[in-house]
Amino acid sequence: MKHLITRLGVLLGLLFFANVALAQFTVTGTITDANQEPLIGVSILVKGTTVGTVTDFNGNYTLDVPGESATIEFSYTGFGGQSIEVSSSNNKIDVVMKEDIAKLDEVVVTGLASSIKRSNLANAVSTISSSQLTGVTTQQTVDGALYGKLTGVNIVSSNGAPGGGIAIRLRGISSLSGNNQPLIIVDGVYITNAEIPSGSRFASGANSGTEEGSSNRLADLNPADIENIEVLKGASAAAIYGTRANAGVIIITTKKGKSGDTKVSLEQDLGFNTIQKFVGRRTFANAQEVAETFPNEPDAPNQWQEAVNSGKLFNYEEEIYGETGLISDTRLKVSGGNAKTQFYVSGAYRTEDGIIKNTGFDRLSTRLNLKHKISDNLSISSYTNYVNSTASRSFTGNENEGGLSYGYTLAFTRDYVDLFPNEDGIYPDNPNYTGNPLFVRDRAKNEETNNRFIQGVNANWTIFQKDDQVLRFNLGGGLDLLNNETFVYVPEEHQGTRGNDNGFVAVGKNKIFNYNYQAFLNHDYYSQNGISFSTSAGVSFLSFDRDFVLNRATQLNPLQTNLQQAGAQQISQRIEQEEEFGIILQEQVNWDDKIIATVGVRFDKSSLNGDPNKYYVFPRASLAANIANFDFWSVDAISQFKLRVAYGETGNSADFGSLFTSLSAVNINGTPGFLINSQQGNTGLVPETSSELEFGADLSLFENQLGVEISYYIRSVEDLLYDRSLPTSSGFTNEIRNDLALENTGLELGLNINPVSTSELNWVTGVNFWFNRSEITLLGTPDGDNDANDVPSFVPPGVAFGLGLGTFFIDEGSPITALWGRDDQGNPTITGDTEPDFQLGWWNEFNIGKNFSFNFLVHWKEGGDVLNLSRLLTNIGNTTPNDLLDKTGFIEDASYFRLREIGAYYTIPLSTPFIENIKLGVSGRNLFTLTDYSSYDPETSTKGGTGLSNSIEVTPFPSSRQAYFHLSLNF
Amino acid sequence: MKKINLLYLLGFLFFFAACEIDDQVDPNAPSINSVLSDASLTELNLLVSGTEAGIRNGFGTYVTSAGSIAREFYKFDADPRNTEDLLGKNGTQLDNNTFYLTAPYNTRYRAVKNCNILLEALDNTNSVSEGEKDAYRGFANTVKGLMLFQVLNMLNDNGIRTDVADALNLGPFVSKGAAFDEIVNILDDGFNQVQGSTFNLPLTTGFDGYNTADDFGRFNQAITAKVLTFAGDYQGALDRLSKSFFDLNGDITAGPQHVFSTASGDIFNPLFKTPGQSGDQLVVHNSVIEDAEAGDARLAKFRERADPTSLDGLNGTHETALYASSTSPISIIRNEELILLYAECSIQTGATQQGIDAINTIRNAHGLADYSGGTDTDSLIDELLHQRRYSLWGEGNRMYDLRRYGRLNDQFVPIDRDGDIIHTQFPIPLTEG
Repeated sequence: MKHLITRLGVLLGLLFFANVALAQFTVTGTITDANQEPLIGVSILVKGTTVGTVTDFNGNYTLDVPGESATIEFSYTGFGGQSIEVSSSNNKIDVVMKEDIAKLDEVVVTGLASSIKRSNLANAVSTISSSQLTGVTTQQTVDGALYGKLTGVNIVSSNGAPGGGIAIRLRGISSLSGNNQPLIIVDGVYITNAEIPSGSRFASGANSGTEEGSSNRLADLNPADIENIEVLKGASAAAIYGTRANAGVIIITTKKGKSGDTKVSLEQDLGFNTIQKFVGRRTFANAQEVAETFPNEPDAPNQWQEAVNSGKLFNYEEEIYGETGLISDTRLKVSGGNAKTQFYVSGAYRTEDGIIKNTGFDRLSTRLNLKHKISDNLSISSYTNYVNSTASRSFTGNENEGGLSYGYTLAFTRDYVDLFPNEDGIYPDNPNYTGNPLFVRDRAKNEETNNRFIQGVNANWTIFQKDDQVLRFNLGGGLDLLNNETFVYVPEEHQGTRGNDNGFVAVGKNKIFNYNYQAFLNHDYYSQNGISFSTSAGVSFLSFDRDFVLNRATQLNPLQTNLQQAGAQQISQRIEQEEEFGIILQEQVNWDDKIIATVGVRFDKSSLNGDPNKYYVFPRASLAANIANFDFWSVDAISQFKLRVAYGETGNSADFGSLFTSLSAVNINGTPGFLINSQQGNTGLVPETSSELEFGADLSLFENQLGVEISYYIRSVEDLLYDRSLPTSSGFTNEIRNDLALENTGLELGLNINPVSTSELNWVTGVNFWFNRSEITLLGTPDGDNDANDVPSFVPPGVAFGLGLGTFFIDEGSPITALWGRDDQGNPTITGDTEPDFQLGWWNEFNIGKNFSFNFLVHWKEGGDVLNLSRLLTNIGNTTPNDLLDKTGFIEDASYFRLREIGAYYTIPLSTPFIENIKLGVSGRNLFTLTDYSSYDPETSTKGGTGLSNSIEVTPFPSSRQAYFHLSLNF
Repeated sequence: MKKINLLYLLGFLFFFAACEIDDQVDPNAPSINSVLSDASLTELNLLVSGTEAGIRNGFGTYVTSAGSIAREFYKFDADPRNTEDLLGKNGTQLDNNTFYLTAPYNTRYRAVKNCNILLEALDNTNSVSEGEKDAYRGFANTVKGLMLFQVLNMLNDNGIRTDVADALNLGPFVSKGAAFDEIVNILDDGFNQVQGSTFNLPLTTGFDGYNTADDFGRFNQAITAKVLTFAGDYQGALDRLSKSFFDLNGDITAGPQHVFSTASGDIFNPLFKTPGQSGDQLVVHNSVIEDAEAGDARLAKFRERADPTSLDGLNGTHETALYASSTSPISIIRNEELILLYAECSIQTGATQQGIDAINTIRNAHGLADYSGGTDTDSLIDELLHQRRYSLWGEGNRMYDLRRYGRLNDQFVPIDRDGDIIHTQFPIPLTEG
């Protein structure tokens, strides 16, 4: 009650103050860009106050300024900010804004409910705008669109099938357990990026769900709906996200309507997928060579000769991977609104066929984003997205005796055998392996359907506002409901299933339901002496529910795919429930844009920790000094010179289930039983914590036409959760432990230049350069201590295929990305390293005249090895192409130089009342790659996107290149 | 003013900070603790069935790893290590962290763990009588003994751990001799416990005929006799055989079995291979066909392939026909082996005629005439090993039989490719540290 009275008092006091009349004058003017086009929505603010306005549709503004004189600041996204002195006598101010290469005035969302101008930011936060994301070419998936565009990121594709299968790693490995992927937040909703296995491993014999090459569910998001993507790469930037942010945070903001005329655009892309590269097949010059290759098969030379004579020597690689897949992407966008309500509506349909017959991806996406101002101090936004996506991914990757994976089968299949169906449609058995790949392609199925609904809401209430302070309340939240259905069908005639399983059907019904909410109070206070304070306090709650049900059936009745039409059925279910709650406090002090200091702390608890109600503390602190803003600075050419340092901590809890030691349900002859689970639970688990120190400098020169951003980081992960193999004589194979530490260090350099800026030609170019190095700094106790209980170096379970073939290996003092094998004495030794020496992205935008644009992006990855086990298989099967027969060892340098994206567009201005313009274009993706890597794609992972998985190849779905034609009509 | 705002913020935080997260229970499976105290009859029975199911896991690899090394057959499948590592291609040593070792090793010890959980559960429950408890204990110790025996066969001179009840404080690796003694002790405990117990265990049809206190005791003694024979205690083995279901004139196929079904959660016979299939096949080593006596009915275990098959420089004309279908049972131990154990122990203890008679029982059962070779011990052991080779083909014995008689080397085992070597035992798994 006492509180209430105090509050009422405050409010009454405010009303009183607001009515006190003060001296003031009015400033007016017009704001345009370099082409004299008016700019709408430019923000105009009296420096050091909350007094401000925005320009109208004609670029005009009117602002009442208190006092006799003031400095007013003009800012507009994508343009350099300006500060101008005004007084009651100098009150007609027209401004021409210039494009801002360094994006100094861009507003970056750093906290959960707070933002900051890029020029005041103490971290390197990468922002990808919609034009960078989708402006050059059409993107298949959001994650795939990030290749080469950010520093500090490593993107790995585990599957070249349409519809994704991509893992993003920010600033190196941050976790060994499942969650090594950044947290993804779309319009305030914590969305799932799960890879959901279909159960095809039960037919193919693959070792785990991660080997199934599943797509990751970021694929559901339509890239064309995205306004921008902010990437918080390390703990120093992401600390405020606490225990979910160890692998970084990706904040996606979708497009919003702007008040004004309703804009309609209809866009149509047509394109095609083709394989990037054929590896090739073994060919024989003569029967003698066949006999030498297969010395134990006296019939082989004759079979080969017969195939040659009858023209039945095939190239099964081209037969399987040689399709041209058609792509169509249609998008309709309508946006607009008035001063109170703005809307953005989009509908998009993408259909894409893969380079293997009967593979493809379809996505239907609709979106409605609404913003409504209920009153001057209360607004509400809603973001609604429905997605229906289907994918047909067929069978690729690792397997064991399933006869399903194309690459695996092809490795053993000789081109002189005839696998084509006869006139009755009967496919012959493959004499070389357990499956006929043509039969699998034509008759077997591996499909998924997703129905997904993502809803975010956000309310902003300005509780009170005064000249020198403002208090806002923000309430936000949302939900992500994903219904995923998988379907795998292997007909009973399939060679690998005949006589044992006699056909296989798997039907998965999987549900993921995430919801989260957050409530924040933000208080901004501008003191008389030029120091402003921004205080935030809030809470955040997350709940993630997953329920995966997989029904499998074998002993199928002929031609039947219903689960009941089977002699044997198996059901498995996995339920996972996670809850997290956090309290966040943050204070930011800004001294006249000269020195900006931030301190913050997050207290988090999680149901995944041993003690679910214990709070873990994740602090942060940062300092940015804008040297060029000090009065002593006299170098006019340099408009910004910022030195910055930031420190922060984030966490990551163990995977669901790590706390429990459980009894598995087994069955013998219909009788159920308990068998001890092979994972020993650990009820004392604490979250792994990553702490990062980042130093950097930002420079902006020549009227913001040249921007330089350089950052160096040291990122240590303590209490790293890892699955350690136990002595299996204990009855357990593994346990989750916490006594491992890791350090990543790296350098990131960004350079943005606008070398030519005339009305005939505007050329903007940028270079991103980065590298990362890792070292395992502690395993058990320090090696020097010679503690008998020290944890010996070990092979983490499930990351590769053992030291015999090459694997990751946890060894104190070594990089975590190293590949290990055995030396002559049989001891583990480093044989390669998957970490690239460096990566470099170079993008270019040319705008020629008003109507023509040309863009391209190249990506160079230097170093980084791949363990090419596809070649091991083709060696065994004697199908390795002749030019690769001399290669020894399976670790290969996977450096590459790739033309990622290229596009050219021409806009036909019509400016008729009916249609504004027509835009035509051509573009391509991954059109050209230079690499010594001998297999399909140097970016590969046979174990999917989790944990350490990376750069181990076993017969993947080959990557494709895409070429497109574009047509868009703007009304 | 600033101060009041802070009050606002704090009040607001306290409102939300009350959010309490419940203690976590596994929504997917019961906790181990639920059976360790006050286990119900149902839970005890579930542990028994889980154990019977669990000993089948990894048994396929137990057989194929040893069978490949002993050149009984090749495993032709997609994993190259079956024809490279196991056959010592170009001198390759066995890896200490690869499936051919870890799959059988882990599953044997996982079953041991399940038995130890059952034993601990029995000590902390009153849901069954002492007489019933003894039956469960007898079962648990018998299975433990069998599992540890299989592990010892693999690791041999490396020794094994026998005391593994406390996962955090495992007992040491003990020598082969000490391990044999401990295994016999465990089996004897089981035998003593099951004697006179109230035997009411939910064993499957695989134990039909062996699911009373007395009959299960006979099964226990059969296992113990085999262990003692492998340990070289032939007199002790003869003693146990007399208490087992050994019957010189009885059905040679009698004995308990691992059973398989298509029920949900069950597994298939891992050693069944589809006739004519390539790519996942047990291909009979040509020497097995060549060395067989004409007319030996046991040749029906091998099916001639329409096309000879080859992989990795190896080839064969026959494939396994040991099991008729994917749900055919696998014998755990049967009278045929007991007769052969009897023959071996008789020969080794000087009772030559009994040994020859037992060998002839087996020969006659498979359509062969009486043994007519030399009656010196060496000749008889040659003949005995020949009979074991064909009677127990593809059941995980040949490698250890050869080793027991110093024949696991290139004098007695064919080398198919230059550079191949013959392994004699498996290394201690990497994870044992």
